[in-house]
Amino acid sequence: MWPRLKRLLLTRLRFRESWIVFFVFGVIMMNYPFISIFNKPARLFRIPILYLYLQIGWAVSIFIIWLFNKANNLADHDDAPEEGS
Amino acid sequence: MLQPALVIGVSLLYILLLFLIASWSEKRQGAGRSVIANPHVYSLSIAVFATAWTYYGSVGKAATTGLDYLLIYLGPSLTAFSWWFVLRKTVRICRENNITSIADFIGSRYGKSQRLGGLVTLIAVMGIMPYIGLQLKAVSTSFEILCGRRHIAIPVPGMGELSVGTSAMAVGILALFAVLFGARRLSSTERHEGVVAAIALESMVKLCAFLAVGIYVTFFRFDGFQDIFDRMAMKFPEQLERLTTFGSPGRGSYSAIFSMLFISMGAIMLLPRQFHIMVIENADELHIRKAMWLFPAYLFLINLFVMPLALAGILVTGSANGADFFILSLPLKGGHPWLALLVFLGGFSAAAGMIMVESIAISTMLLDHLLMPVIVRISPRRWFPGLLLNLKRCGIVLVLVLGYLYQTIVTDFTLVDMGIISFVAVAQFAPAFMGALYWRRGNKAGALVGMTLGFILWFYTLLLPSLIQSGWWRTALLKEGLFGIPLLRPTALFGLNDFDPSTHAVFWSLLFNMGGYLIFSILMPQGEREREPAEKFVNVFKPREEESWERKRFSKPVTIIQFVNLMAKFVGEKQANSAIAAYLGDREIDENGRVSEFELPGLKRFIEKTLAGAVGAAAAGAIVESYLSDIGSRMESFYDVFRTVRTSLEESRESLYFRLRASEIMSRTLDLQIIIDDLLELIRTEFGFNLVLVRLATAGGVLKVRGFRGTDIREITQTDWVAEKGTYIGEAFLSNKIQFVNDMNHATRQASRDLLETAGVCSFAHIPIARQGESPIGILSVFSQEIVALFTEDFLKLLASLAGQLAQAVTIVFEMEARERERKGKEQALLENARVMRDMEIAKQIQRSLLPTVPPALPGMLIAGSCLPAAHVGGDYFDYFLRGDDTLDIVIADVSGHNVGAALIMAETRSVLRSHVQRSVPPGELLRLLNELLYEDLTRSELFISMFYVSYSFQTGSLRYSNAGHNRPLLLKQDAPWCTDLDTEGLILGVLPEVGFEEKSVLLEPGDILLLYTDGIIESQNSSGEFFGMERLCRTVQLRRDDTPDAIISALFEDLDEFLEDAPPNDDITLVALKLLET
Repeated sequence: MWPRLKRLLLTRLRFRESWIVFFVFGVIMMNYPFISIFNKPARLFRIPILYLYLQIGWAVSIFIIWLFNKANNLADHDDAPEEGS
Repeated sequence: MLQPALVIGVSLLYILLLFLIASWSEKRQGAGRSVIANPHVYSLSIAVFATAWTYYGSVGKAATTGLDYLLIYLGPSLTAFSWWFVLRKTVRICRENNITSIADFIGSRYGKSQRLGGLVTLIAVMGIMPYIGLQLKAVSTSFEILCGRRHIAIPVPGMGELSVGTSAMAVGILALFAVLFGARRLSSTERHEGVVAAIALESMVKLCAFLAVGIYVTFFRFDGFQDIFDRMAMKFPEQLERLTTFGSPGRGSYSAIFSMLFISMGAIMLLPRQFHIMVIENADELHIRKAMWLFPAYLFLINLFVMPLALAGILVTGSANGADFFILSLPLKGGHPWLALLVFLGGFSAAAGMIMVESIAISTMLLDHLLMPVIVRISPRRWFPGLLLNLKRCGIVLVLVLGYLYQTIVTDFTLVDMGIISFVAVAQFAPAFMGALYWRRGNKAGALVGMTLGFILWFYTLLLPSLIQSGWWRTALLKEGLFGIPLLRPTALFGLNDFDPSTHAVFWSLLFNMGGYLIFSILMPQGEREREPAEKFVNVFKPREEESWERKRFSKPVTIIQFVNLMAKFVGEKQANSAIAAYLGDREIDENGRVSEFELPGLKRFIEKTLAGAVGAAAAGAIVESYLSDIGSRMESFYDVFRTVRTSLEESRESLYFRLRASEIMSRTLDLQIIIDDLLELIRTEFGFNLVLVRLATAGGVLKVRGFRGTDIREITQTDWVAEKGTYIGEAFLSNKIQFVNDMNHATRQASRDLLETAGVCSFAHIPIARQGESPIGILSVFSQEIVALFTEDFLKLLASLAGQLAQAVTIVFEMEARERERKGKEQALLENARVMRDMEIAKQIQRSLLPTVPPALPGMLIAGSCLPAAHVGGDYFDYFLRGDDTLDIVIADVSGHNVGAALIMAETRSVLRSHVQRSVPPGELLRLLNELLYEDLTRSELFISMFYVSYSFQTGSLRYSNAGHNRPLLLKQDAPWCTDLDTEGLILGVLPEVGFEEKSVLLEPGDILLLYTDGIIESQNSSGEFFGMERLCRTVQLRRDDTPDAIISALFEDLDEFLEDAPPNDDITLVALKLLET
């Protein structure tokens, strides 16, 4: 179940649209009004919530790009034998 | 505090290390094993983005304005999502066009515009000045914090001590480094291995140093992240709240967040050094993939401890004063000078890396776009490459000096503010840059107007206030506005005062910039020179199916040598020669050292591209143009025969219509003359030629005029050419290639030139009339007396396809004529044959009539004879002669051959024989006589006769006989069980003039049967190869011995039929049978 899901996810990530969606999504997440949800003086795990949000969001975005990269590498490997045949 | 000597010593050692790394990697590159051509080094080199501003300024910003420091890194991180498309596309474009800088990129895209490139350079220089100043300021301030002074005393022998500012010293060292490794060669498209390797190392050092101090402060001075936040919440709760939330008016406002995010997104690719490192120094497009997450990860790591460090600084010092250098003062205060020294080195790395790449990038732009336009006006000399290289070196120093001057003038701003001024400046490139990549309609006018407006507003709303605040200008301007108009106040333009200064500047400058770009792009038409690059840039990933047709030509052809000499003056002789050798490859070069007329523009583009690597595309274009005009050639448009402007390579409607008409003409009739005349008329009227002419080759290889239309130029229309090399028409026919001259002044074949110039022709073409893959059958020639430059590549293709169609039509007509001739020939032959057959039939009738139809009726004997000729006429003969009352002679003969000749000889033999039989001559004598008489005729006609002659006397019953080489007749005696033959010898007639013949006699008795025959019957062969033979012959006679001779002959023929299985015999067959009756 999991490998199939992973593969499906990775194939979807190869689409150019996915990149644009994530880019736009990132811009939205970092702007008003979305950011105002976290823009509060509260602290989570004793760390200011907005700071935590931005740092974690950033790390997640890097992870997603890493996934994209993996998806593209996967695509290259998938395509290679097809080109050869 | 540390000893200045120690700090300087360690710094110099570090710089030495950088030098070593740089020269080592250059050596490795020389050996073909590049160290920088891998994605990790590429990612690290992009981290040149993290300058001293990041290194020191982030902490400063975090301590003063809070979380918005993150945005400068979040923006670039976000753009990484688009790198695979935007960055890769840019890299591809730059590689394909030998682009050297962002100024070159924008200039090239909008028609190789020098002005646009110059404007970009100007903005970049102005915009980057504060940024470089910032780096120098960071170096000198950090040194001051570390050592407690700003100046270094250098002992100079004889003059005491020389006091030098640290930033001045940094300028000197960095300039040396950049000149050594950044301006080694003139070609800027080549990668600078040494610089990139050094940058990568510096990126490692600054990251390690920052992480080291972050870990030290967070986990050793304090007890982790949470501890710092807890203490802050206890000690300065309000400050913590302000620093960890957005939304306060001014810097932390949502609009400021947006503008920061936006300009940092732009800066990551548009800063000249970023463009240089990411695009020009990129070794492989695939490296982008890894850099997409490695670079954001780098930024993430280097920012991880920024907030804790800032808060720790506040906690330790009690305020945010001097926050820019918390990372230096914290370890110093904690008693860790070595850590502080490491931090200093990290900061120096950050500053040095930025300054080196920036100065290289900017100096390239300065050289290509500000100096080149002046230089190209001077005619090139041999020492040009050296001069250009030195100018580039001077450019590097100049950029550094400018930055130095700025930081000495503007002293008040914090590091971050100085950086933002640069960011907003380069953001002005964004509309033209993105338009260059994705909007085909974006044009030069739009880019120029937009960028100029953006630049003016940037200067007025951001740079000017920064200068004013440093007391460099009247402060009144800031308060009262230009000319005292409050609406024109630089920081609150048109009364807009809700924004912080940078957001305010971003808003106005980009509004005008984008507006100008869009509006002018839509309103103004795109220039001729812009179209091709626009197409090439926007569709760089589209596979080009076919190069579009050339729409330009040289008014005077240029030789390859001329081009090479031009190139050599800018890039050096060696490089010029190797470049041209690679380009020419297997292209055809004619005897004059030129490529074909249609390839010349391609060669010109190649020369421009090669030059572009050294001097930038716009300058390269200008150099080639001015060179061409010097030698009196220029690019001119082809005459547009279709009278329409075509931008794509699709065929025009006119061309299609024309082909359709031509096809109609050719399918309408099979009369070749009509086809040729109509087609010529169509070509002449449609394209306005003065003369069009078709010549077809005769069997002897002469090109004969078959038809023409237009002015009857007698020199042309009355001449038939023998196809030979040396004339254009001969060349066209023999090589099966179109020969054309667009301008008689440049015709090279003297014979043709003399003739055509007398005829007043100024351009012409000879198109071979040939089917695909076959040799030509003629030439279609078109002449114009008025228009030069008529023949474009696609026009010639059209004419060639027309000639191909004509060849098809001609071939069909020729083939039909040939078939017709063949049919008539066959008919004739058939008629002839029939006539011969009829004659033969007559001959046969006559010959038949020469043979006796009925045997003589004689008492006491029965005779029968029959001849079955194989062909219509035959050479067999038999006859009976009654001599007196008591003698019957029988003769049987066979003339060799069964043709008319044989038949005639037979007839002659008969006549001769008949004239002699009345005389009483014995058989032997008669044969001798015959031979004598016929010898001549037989020899002449190369024929022979075999003959057997018998003479029977009724009275004596004896049979006398002589043989002239004939088959011996069979005699079946009445009481004998088997046949005997009449054996007598004699040569066949016609071999020798005098021959004697033996004569014998035999006594016949009643019941005896004599059979005379020709060889036809015994030599008849059946399908299994068996001969009929004597035995069968004799057996039949024997079996039928009681029958009449008639019946015997019939039986023999029946037997033969049976033997041959009804196949016709292949020789004449003659049988004569005689039977004595019993009385």
